Amino acid sequence: MTPRSHGLALGIVVVALAALALGYHNAFVLNLVFVGLIYAVLGQSWNWISGYAGQISFGHALFFGCGAYASALFGVHHGSPWLALPAGALVAAALALAVGFPCFGLRGHYFSIATIAVAAIAEIAVNNIGALGKANGFEMPILAPSLASLQFDDKGQYVLMALVLFAIAQIGTITLERSRLGYYLRAIRANQEAAASVGVDARAAKLATFAAGAALAALAGSLYAQQTLYVGPEDTLALPISIAIALVGVVGGLSTVWGPALGALVYVALARYGGAVLGGQGHGLDLLLYGGLILVIVSWRPDGLAGIGGSIRRFVRRRSAETPA
Amino acid sequence: MDLGPLPQLVVSGILTGLLFALISVGLTLIFGVMDVVNFAHGEFLMLAMYLTFGLALVGLNPIFALPFVALAAFVLGAIVYRLLIRRLLDGPPSTVVFGTFGLLVFLQGAAQYFFTSDYRSVPNPPFQGTLHLGNVALGEAQLIAGLGALVMTALVFAFVEFTEPGRALRALSEDRVAAQLMGIDVQRMNALAFGLGTACVGAAGALLMLTYPAFPRVGTEFALTAFVVVALGGFGSVQGALLGAILVGLVEVLGGFYISPALKLIPVYALYLVVVLLRPQGLLGRR
Repeated sequence: MTPRSHGLALGIVVVALAALALGYHNAFVLNLVFVGLIYAVLGQSWNWISGYAGQISFGHALFFGCGAYASALFGVHHGSPWLALPAGALVAAALALAVGFPCFGLRGHYFSIATIAVAAIAEIAVNNIGALGKANGFEMPILAPSLASLQFDDKGQYVLMALVLFAIAQIGTITLERSRLGYYLRAIRANQEAAASVGVDARAAKLATFAAGAALAALAGSLYAQQTLYVGPEDTLALPISIAIALVGVVGGLSTVWGPALGALVYVALARYGGAVLGGQGHGLDLLLYGGLILVIVSWRPDGLAGIGGSIRRFVRRRSAETPA
Repeated sequence: MDLGPLPQLVVSGILTGLLFALISVGLTLIFGVMDVVNFAHGEFLMLAMYLTFGLALVGLNPIFALPFVALAAFVLGAIVYRLLIRRLLDGPPSTVVFGTFGLLVFLQGAAQYFFTSDYRSVPNPPFQGTLHLGNVALGEAQLIAGLGALVMTALVFAFVEFTEPGRALRALSEDRVAAQLMGIDVQRMNALAFGLGTACVGAAGALLMLTYPAFPRVGTEFALTAFVVVALGGFGSVQGALLGAILVGLVEVLGGFYISPALKLIPVYALYLVVVLLRPQGLLGRR
């Protein structure tokens, strides 16, 4: 797909969901749409580092948690949520640089395990630090609904906010694919030594991508906290959240613009029946199906749902081209 | 000289470490032979624990269940290799990571769906006595689990070191191409290694049920500890895994006592980061 058709697709999705948010006042459905958009953004932020840059992270919840805790802390201490957004994003980006700088030298799985270790350390620490609410987390104060307080009485407004973030994530990805950084990342993934020999600074390229993705995940975390008004380690920092984020990315299709959104769509649809959305322990059927889907995709179609979609499109185009006019 | 609780903690740390060793030897064996880090390793442990629990429900002592569970795990491992892992090996390295990650999610979801999230402990657990050696008090179950793990680890070591198939496995981990040229059937040996590595967690699962409950996410924490152990000992090194496991067991128990039980895993995970960044080949690994 060209950037133009990506943009067109994004426009259609945004307009359709915005119409839904404004016109359809079913709190249950709007909540699912909200969570789906949050996951699409998280999956995309993961896709930047683990898809495009090829550094597989199983600790991405750490950055989501940064944003959620920033919102919680600003909320509890009566700061503006609009300051929490950049604060969480900055902390997340700084953490990504601190983790990435030493760890990007590591071979594949060493890095992946390191991300689990760092996220686990953060989770244990938060569980034991009084100022961060320990295992109980934070109940955020309920404020008068307004854009300034980032609290709304209508679920549709949250969907609109998430839609803005989703558009930023998608435009970021479309831009990344066509940017110098995007070409660097592709070169590094294909052959890091060859890329380095023509002057590509692999570490700098990966660090920039990782930090940007972490900041994006933190923004999603802040927005999520503003909607639930509760933040605790179990549903923001724990390993199952990191696993869910990676799931969304892998199922949808690595290194594709629409993969994370497709993955999030499937995730929310399945989780809806599994009873587990973000951290809750469902009865497991959703995980079973998701795991099975990954196994099928990994052994047959590493490019995921988005890749299968691309094949279908090409097939249809070929068929219509063969049809005599 | 009064050492206070130190001797007790050291013995306890070593016994914990021996169980880590058995789990980690399985992981490192698979890695050494086919360069696969099995992210679903802990889920095989979880399945073995449930099988042991099921056998205990019909009255089988986990110690006597151990050979059956280990054998079942071996067969499961070999089947998983044939059906899944073999396909993944053809792709880029990330395929293996995502494939075993998918297996983790699948098995955890299956356990949650079929067994629910409840904690399951062996009913009327055996070996409830306590042994006193000087001022060291030891639960019999903990002692038997630790020693059992040591025996099993020694058996695996002896197999790899002194048998013909074991020699073939070592040859593969040293130089795959040369081993292949010498007529070693790589597919067969990979399946053997994967089955053997899974049998290790099978045996460990049976032993663990003496002191620990089974639940769907039980494998994650043990697998994470095994990653630390294997990194510490050097990916692929069996002796390194034993040494690393005892070190990690000591760090966990001593850290839990002198720092705080809630924080006991922080030094363990921090140890991983320090080792992979400063000495990526591990204590006994080769580059």
